[in-house]
Amino acid sequence: MNTVENKEAERQFEAHLREHERLIEKICSIYVFTEADRQDLFQEIVIQLWKAYPRFKGESSFGTYLYRIALNTAIAGLRKKKDFIRPYEPEKLPHQADDNDSAIAEEQHQLLYRSIGKLNEVEKAIVLLYLEDKSYREMETILGMTEGALRVKMSRIKDKLRQLTK
Amino acid sequence: MELFELKQQWKKTGSLPTTHNHNIMEMIRHNSNGPVAVLKQSYRRQAAIMLVLPIAMTLINLSNIGSALSSVLFWTYVAFCVAVAIYAGYNYRVVATLDETDSMVKQHLEKTIAVLETRMRQNVTGVKIALLIFIVLTEVLPYIQHFPTLDYWHGLSPFIRFGAYALLILSQHFSLRRMSYLKFGQHIERLKELVRQME
Repeated sequence: MNTVENKEAERQFEAHLREHERLIEKICSIYVFTEADRQDLFQEIVIQLWKAYPRFKGESSFGTYLYRIALNTAIAGLRKKKDFIRPYEPEKLPHQADDNDSAIAEEQHQLLYRSIGKLNEVEKAIVLLYLEDKSYREMETILGMTEGALRVKMSRIKDKLRQLTK
Repeated sequence: MELFELKQQWKKTGSLPTTHNHNIMEMIRHNSNGPVAVLKQSYRRQAAIMLVLPIAMTLINLSNIGSALSSVLFWTYVAFCVAVAIYAGYNYRVVATLDETDSMVKQHLEKTIAVLETRMRQNVTGVKIALLIFIVLTEVLPYIQHFPTLDYWHGLSPFIRFGAYALLILSQHFSLRRMSYLKFGQHIERLKELVRQME
């Protein structure tokens, strides 16, 4: 690839990524607990996306391509850190709670986030795709699990989260 | 609170602009810090060391280069280093295929497991073969060429010599098992557990 083509690819890549920046942040917030780790994972996902970008032919949507790479990086590509000694830091979101939202509701959200943090890596991926409103069919193309297995897993995750948030 | 309730909040935050100022163009100029990158780096380093070692050996023996170049041991050593460097290069290329992370998560995990298991198996076999070559050389070389450094060793009883070799093979077996577990085994176990969770 010559310099001009490379610059053009970089420009396209940045534009694509800016559209999905928030999504990558949300994936990071599910998988790692501290702000520093989230920044590290964000950077690692961006590097992997860039490496794979020349192979992105648009056969699947950019979203599917992004979910696959981000989840592969977060699940298998992340070196295991001793998360248990790291305190959970809630993600700093702009206006995370509306003015009308009660403090109790916000606390419940945080409790649920913390409970999601206790799930295993695969369960986190399923929850993430559920929260992103993905159908079981779409989850199947991203995760490579059968629809049946996904339904069973989803039901178990919901039970597990109910137990954890009690 | 149920998960579907969180979905509403999740959607809301998804449409909000990011609070971070990510410099994406700067990020892509960085090298990966993931386990595949670490493994690739270790193979690259191994290949480089193995190519530098014979040169270092030649330089050390520069004052007596004629003797070094006619030594069977020296050439065996060079051949061994070159073979290890080539093998490290091959491993680097195979491991580099794990950088293709755009496949489905389960398939990517299965591919990673297969690649790591093969590397681990070949690594163990290679190191075992290297020790056997070293033992055979130690025993056979004095019949081909005279090595003063081996005189004392060959003066010992064969029982002591072969007992020492057996001990060496045994300790290598256990230390290799431990090292393979630390370098590959524990990661393979974790990845297999992830695949099990997906079934």
